[in-house]
Amino acid sequence: MSSSNLQRALIQIWAFVFKNWIITKRNVFTLFEILFWPVVGLFSVGLLTVFLQLDADMSGFILIGVISMSVIQVCQIDVAYALLYDLWSKSIKHTFIAPVHSFQLILGSWLIGVFRSFLVFLLLSIFSVFAFGFDFLRPGIGPLVLFLLGLFLVSVLIGMSVCILVLLFGYKAEVAAWSLVSLMVLICGVYYPISILPFPLPEIAQAIPLTFFLEYFRSFYGFESGYRNLLGWGFGLSGLYLLIEMVAFKAVLHHARRTGVLIKLSE
Amino acid sequence: MALAIRAEGIYKSFRSGWWGQRRKEVLKGVDLQVEQGEIFGILGPNGAGKTTLLSILSTLLFPDRGKVEILGIDGLRDGHRIREKVNISSGNANFLWSLSVRENLHFYGMLYGLTGKAREEKVKALIEFFDLKGHEHVPFDRLSTGMKQRLSLAKSMLNDPQMLFLDEPTVGLDPEVSVRIREKIRSAQRENGMTILLTTHNMREAESLCDRIAFLKEGEIVALGSAGALKRMVRIGDVVRIEFNGPISCDQIIRAEGVINCSISGDLCEIIVDEGESRLASLIAIISQGGAQIKRVSLGQTDLEDVFIEFAKGTDSDMGLRI
Repeated sequence: MSSSNLQRALIQIWAFVFKNWIITKRNVFTLFEILFWPVVGLFSVGLLTVFLQLDADMSGFILIGVISMSVIQVCQIDVAYALLYDLWSKSIKHTFIAPVHSFQLILGSWLIGVFRSFLVFLLLSIFSVFAFGFDFLRPGIGPLVLFLLGLFLVSVLIGMSVCILVLLFGYKAEVAAWSLVSLMVLICGVYYPISILPFPLPEIAQAIPLTFFLEYFRSFYGFESGYRNLLGWGFGLSGLYLLIEMVAFKAVLHHARRTGVLIKLSE
Repeated sequence: MALAIRAEGIYKSFRSGWWGQRRKEVLKGVDLQVEQGEIFGILGPNGAGKTTLLSILSTLLFPDRGKVEILGIDGLRDGHRIREKVNISSGNANFLWSLSVRENLHFYGMLYGLTGKAREEKVKALIEFFDLKGHEHVPFDRLSTGMKQRLSLAKSMLNDPQMLFLDEPTVGLDPEVSVRIREKIRSAQRENGMTILLTTHNMREAESLCDRIAFLKEGEIVALGSAGALKRMVRIGDVVRIEFNGPISCDQIIRAEGVINCSISGDLCEIIVDEGESRLASLIAIISQGGAQIKRVSLGQTDLEDVFIEFAKGTDSDMGLRI
């Protein structure tokens, strides 16, 4: 790839960062997304652990779950916004008549999601130290970075699923942007270990990378996992699903060009 | 002249209902060739398939069957390469609501790979060209319909497209704004030499802008040619009424260039011609040379609207003609 082509490809990715950033700046609701809900979530669950008189490790188990879900929610919604903003503005056809690749659309939106959700993580970690004495840095910088990377990867997978559903079902699918994360809460052991889930949910949880990333990080707080090579499973599954979703995204885009969904969503 | 569009046997149908059991055929074997640098209009009643055809040609939609070649590139296999060279502007334009005019142009400029200073200059030039100055910081949802339309046209010029698709570019605009938008389209085409394919309901727009026009009806092109040629095709045209004294022979008049029909009633001769203004002098000369004395001449001009009505009626004898 020549340098001008590379520059062109990078600016096309940057376009989606620019779009999401401008809309984030303008929209009061996005402040709620990155400040209000995550902070309210952390404090209400944190106070619940105080009321239940849980020990520090048990509180940590739950707070890891709360903060992780806030990070994922903020990051995945930015990926989903790649199409949702266009859907709401009825401008989707202008994005897809431009010579952009689907990976550029996803990558650009994901980058701004990583930035916003990292801010959320910083904020919640600081609050959790001062309010509940929970130290996110106890495992060290390396494990923390790997854990966050895992969360960001899970986020892109959820956000892409929303985009795929939007291209398939249009407006009917926008609810997925908020509900897919709730499914993760139920299945992946966010507030409890997956061993307490009824059949077949533990088996399903083992197919979701978030389960392994949570178990990996909790292992530094004394919660031994029944699985080996947690990061390998987490990143391996993430890579596999990312590949599948990239192919699926291209396929549904092709399908949308065949069925006229891009036109219908722009009217 | 090289072709900008070559479409052969385009079929498209849409399915609806729970299991897609209802199927509506929208395009039924459309063939189209548009030369580079041409402004080509597609006219037709609602539901004729104009927007569907335009969407297929602009790579937003795949046909069920048929071949599409845009600027010599296969539209079905290499849509990405086509998208680098084309752009689209639609009536009832929609862009990201909370982004301003300038931000929207920068966003789409980035999507077309424009970087740094080049993008800044392009956006500035387009804001000036489309009279958006003073509104560049206004969010899209606060713009008037005319402004939105101008933004849409500005966005469509960001990549200096070789092929521009305009879908009802002046729909919903008041006449004054429509005229200004048409002027902008015409002058942008003159500057860039791009090919333009536009769909419209507006006969005057088609007549004033287009080199050639295709009438699309129920998914088929029923006529294709210049505005004048289409008028000749349906045998309606401008009416020249001449009050006279002396001998006049319709046999002689009808042989004159551009004359579609001639009839005489008393001292009134009614001649139907393709383009009244340009034929008037030669008709008067023919009549004068025949020895008749002309008392009064009047010219009634018809426009494409009458042609459209004729085609929309769909008399079989006039169908399937191309000039």
